[in-house]
Amino acid sequence: MDAVIEGFRLVAEPDVLIAIFLSAIYGLVVGSLPGLSATMATALLVPVTFWLSPIAAIATIITASAMAIFSGDIPGALLRIPGTPASAAYTDEAYAMTRKGQAELALGAGLWFSAIGGIVGTLSLMLLAPALAEIALSFSTYEYFWLAFLGLMCATLVARSSPIKAIASMLLGLLISCIGMENPAGTPRFTFGIPDLLGGIEPIPALVGVFAVSEVMRAMATAEPPKLPDRKFGSILANQWMLTKKYQWPMWRGNFVGIIIGVLPGAGADMAAWVSYAMSKRFSKEPEKFGTGHPEGLVEAGASNNASLASGWVPSLLFGIPGDTITAIAIGVLYMKGLNPGPTLFTERASSMYALYIIFILANIIMIPLGIVMIRLASRVLRAPRSSVMPLILLLCAVGSFATGSNVFSVMLVGVFGCLGYAMEKNGYPVAALVLGIVMGSMVETNFITSLIKSDGDVLPFFERPVSSILAGLTFAALLWPLGAWAWARFPGRRRRTAAAAE
Amino acid sequence: MQLSDRITGGMLVALGAASAWSGSLLPAVPGQDVGPAAFPMIIGFGLMGCGALIAIGIGRSFEVDDLDEPAPKTGPLSGLRVLIPPALLLFYALAADTLGFLPTAAIMVLLGAKALGAKWPLAISMAIIGPVLVHLAFYKLLRVPLPPGLLPAPW
Repeated sequence: MDAVIEGFRLVAEPDVLIAIFLSAIYGLVVGSLPGLSATMATALLVPVTFWLSPIAAIATIITASAMAIFSGDIPGALLRIPGTPASAAYTDEAYAMTRKGQAELALGAGLWFSAIGGIVGTLSLMLLAPALAEIALSFSTYEYFWLAFLGLMCATLVARSSPIKAIASMLLGLLISCIGMENPAGTPRFTFGIPDLLGGIEPIPALVGVFAVSEVMRAMATAEPPKLPDRKFGSILANQWMLTKKYQWPMWRGNFVGIIIGVLPGAGADMAAWVSYAMSKRFSKEPEKFGTGHPEGLVEAGASNNASLASGWVPSLLFGIPGDTITAIAIGVLYMKGLNPGPTLFTERASSMYALYIIFILANIIMIPLGIVMIRLASRVLRAPRSSVMPLILLLCAVGSFATGSNVFSVMLVGVFGCLGYAMEKNGYPVAALVLGIVMGSMVETNFITSLIKSDGDVLPFFERPVSSILAGLTFAALLWPLGAWAWARFPGRRRRTAAAAE
Repeated sequence: MQLSDRITGGMLVALGAASAWSGSLLPAVPGQDVGPAAFPMIIGFGLMGCGALIAIGIGRSFEVDDLDEPAPKTGPLSGLRVLIPPALLLFYALAADTLGFLPTAAIMVLLGAKALGAKWPLAISMAIIGPVLVHLAFYKLLRVPLPPGLLPAPW
């Protein structure tokens, strides 16, 4: 109980409260601007967190990411342009509601169910993480290898693109993580004689390049999105309670699916929203209404993407394996602030963990009033011309990457990764898989090589321990599912028969 | 930048082969079977396999076209416009130490805003206000060292 009180005391510090408030506004604004994703908002915050206390640093990341995921719904509903990829799944639906004159209902549902999803996700984090910490204490390098590998495989499922391209992106990320001498043997690899490469490629310049610079590059090549007409909104939260009661089951299903997808290492809010929207349509009593401005899918997917955000912290805090690209950044900040991820975090730094839960709940509660203000101001914020926002983003990329690396080399690295991210995105290679490969590369390699050394080059011990055999099974399932899906599509006769049986 | 799957797949095969080959040249750790060469070689072979599959077009059926790709800008050299942001970053990296943060950032913002089609008054006011605000936030508040150069900030 002392730890809980200590957690409240940590959050009640003025610097933490100010950090929460400012990062909430930042997250809402950045998330609502089309093209600027929640991951990018978080990546640009990293240099700021250097100079904050540990709790305040984590608070900025939690708050900004939660706000950005909600506020991505705003341009989705009003302009049919998702503000963040996590909103893309239901953008058409929300826009159809706006055209029917139900903009308030669509935006309100985004806000209300985002907040509920966030809070339910936090509760799952509070329950799951300490329980799993008990099991995680007995994990050895074999389990860690499979967990990291499973995370990488899940990252390849996230993308709605060819699984082979996703695996190729992930391998490219792993290859980039080989650069430098931070490998078990300490041998310099792929440094091409450049001393700056000896230390390896830090994830932050890679993230900033891939998610922010490539977006500025895309803005150069595309026409300015349409301006938002001025619009007066009625009550935002009216009828939300009615929706909550009417779509109680979809809401809980959305929360549940979001939590599961969040807990899976490597799969995050984008995937949660797509899966939940598809499930909502599949299990709905009125599937024909989907796509015509029906709130049911919005309820389920809106809850789901915010729930996954909180539960994505479970693998990050326990194993240091990112649940998604946002927590990939958060892990770096945790290490920097001396809160090294691992099962002992829950016993030794319990008060910090309680503070983290409290921040999550607090962020999701203040999301409602601040979100209403944001919706009402949206037409003003979204009118900021792209030609004024993008150059500033680029400047922040330069300054931020200079601050993290303290040399001009990281600024150039950001530019290189911007080009790489742009080219990959253009050709259908998912960049999230690349980033997770870079972040998790050294972890996969260290655990793989140490396990092999321990077992004298034998692969059998990788499957012998009970937990590691389960994790291995899951990993192979994730690896082989595209093959299964392909075979399923290849045998139309069988599919027709099952369809007939279902009717 | 849109390339065919054959080309990107071929590039991946080449990259994988290069990484497996140069990985195999890495010195082994005496007395151990697995050393620094193992991981790059596994990745290299994986990349070669994926690249080959992509080149022959397997997995294409999973790709979903984006709902609404915003209309591309047309005009001469429009393809090269995308290289402006990395070029500006390169300019920052090379010029910041001699010119100083404020002039470099101002040039960067001005060129970036013009490239995105801003009118002169907006671009110039952005180029004056933006760097000053960023300098205040990072230098004063966060204490990031920013190069003073020719035009040191008065604070």
